[in-house]
Amino acid sequence: MVVIPELTAPTPDVLRGSENSAAAAAAASLSAVQGRPEMAVEIRDFDFAYTEELALEDVTLDIPAHRVTALIGPSGCGKSTLLRCINRMNDLIPGAGVRRGSIRVQGEEILGRTVDVIALRKYIGMVFQKYNPFPTSIFENVAYGLRISGLSNRRALADAVERSLRRAALWEETKDRLHEGALSLSGGQQQRLCIARTIAVDPKIILMDEPCSALDPIATAKVEELITDLRSDYTIVIVTHNMQQATRVSDRTAFFYVGKLVEEGETMKMFTRPEKKETEDYVSGKFG
Amino acid sequence: MAHILDSFENALNELRRSVLTMGSMSLRNLEIAIKGCVDRDTDLCNSAIAEDDEVNELEMSIDQQGMEIMLRYQPVATDLRKVLAAMKIAGNLERISDEAESIARRGRKMNKHHELADLHLIEPLYEQARFQLEDALRAYTNGDIDLAVSVGEKDDKLDRAHRKLVKYMTSAMAEDSEAVKDYLHVIFIIRCLERVGDHSVNIGEEAVFMESSHDIRHGNVDKLEEEE
Repeated sequence: MVVIPELTAPTPDVLRGSENSAAAAAAASLSAVQGRPEMAVEIRDFDFAYTEELALEDVTLDIPAHRVTALIGPSGCGKSTLLRCINRMNDLIPGAGVRRGSIRVQGEEILGRTVDVIALRKYIGMVFQKYNPFPTSIFENVAYGLRISGLSNRRALADAVERSLRRAALWEETKDRLHEGALSLSGGQQQRLCIARTIAVDPKIILMDEPCSALDPIATAKVEELITDLRSDYTIVIVTHNMQQATRVSDRTAFFYVGKLVEEGETMKMFTRPEKKETEDYVSGKFG
Repeated sequence: MAHILDSFENALNELRRSVLTMGSMSLRNLEIAIKGCVDRDTDLCNSAIAEDDEVNELEMSIDQQGMEIMLRYQPVATDLRKVLAAMKIAGNLERISDEAESIARRGRKMNKHHELADLHLIEPLYEQARFQLEDALRAYTNGDIDLAVSVGEKDDKLDRAHRKLVKYMTSAMAEDSEAVKDYLHVIFIIRCLERVGDHSVNIGEEAVFMESSHDIRHGNVDKLEEEE
């Protein structure tokens, strides 16, 4: 990731990498950071490009804590790009990078060169469009992140796995088959397993990139119910092409078009009386 | 800008056409019911009574169309308000047509007796109620918020005229004991016209909601002005 110099300025200790980078410790410190509690993520004057052309331009957006924020817009509008910038998933794309602006998480700038991205990604989990459990057991999928964080006590691991599976509303369906292969689960169960895997390492923010687009309506309903339930403990940012899903699960909605944030606000308002004509036209199915 | 889905666009247009047709029919039923009374034409009264059935059917058809649009296209924003407003306006138009039917039934009864000299006094009240209904329908058709709001303001005048006329008919009834039944019919007709005014106000309020998303019902018209 190309990072402009001023963004590397003062980097908080909690996000700075260290030789014995115990991710768990870093994440624990990070969660104790004093930021503006009402905003989990603050994006300011943000430009991002994969090549020369800006994929995101002048985006300023606040993402409130313990709320579900939906990012909507036609394909190529930059919503997934923004999502991936929040936990720096775009770092590995050659030539891609931030051109301007800042992203602060709990008050901490996260774009700095010295930010510990492993700790950051633990703090900000991600769930993808296509469920992607590891080809191991259900138990090991959830335990994986905890093990690499240094947790080895069998009892503690078992407790954490159960807690995560319960939180992901998957415990009752899997408690008798924890050591069976994760790939034997249905698609919807695999996606909820991925959510359980994400929350096992105790993130504070969960990014979801079209988490239901590969699921049938019943599995979708279960994941949507889970999202609504998780809101009390996590800040959730969801990219979706499904307008009805945005209205069902999100508190706030941000509409993007050709790399720009056109309008954002309370979801009910965005879908009943949007202020911008572009928003009205898009949500009403007049272009996209 | 039109919807990408032609069928959605067509369904919304069809819904609007149905509401406008129903508006014309209710207006016409009211007109022929009053004419049947004032001209003592029982055939016209019968016609108003019979045509109320068509309005009832159209109301059910509009509800069905609205339900299908919601089911198939999950409308949002202005589209959602268009569907909700259409269904609620249809309900009010159906009630207006019911009032016309009620007027026609009373007219038919009065036509069997001697003509009541004071009957023509209902005509100015009818004119006022009809203007209000026409304004409300025009406001819906053109998305004219100012005109829609003005229907509520005009209704105060109609209410005052209604009270004054009821008072007059009540005292006239006391002086002409042989025509008590007919005076009672006239008082109920006056009441029907006052209700037409109220339903017109409701239609105007729905037109405002559809156009601006502001809910001005129950005296909340000030909120519209505040936000403007």
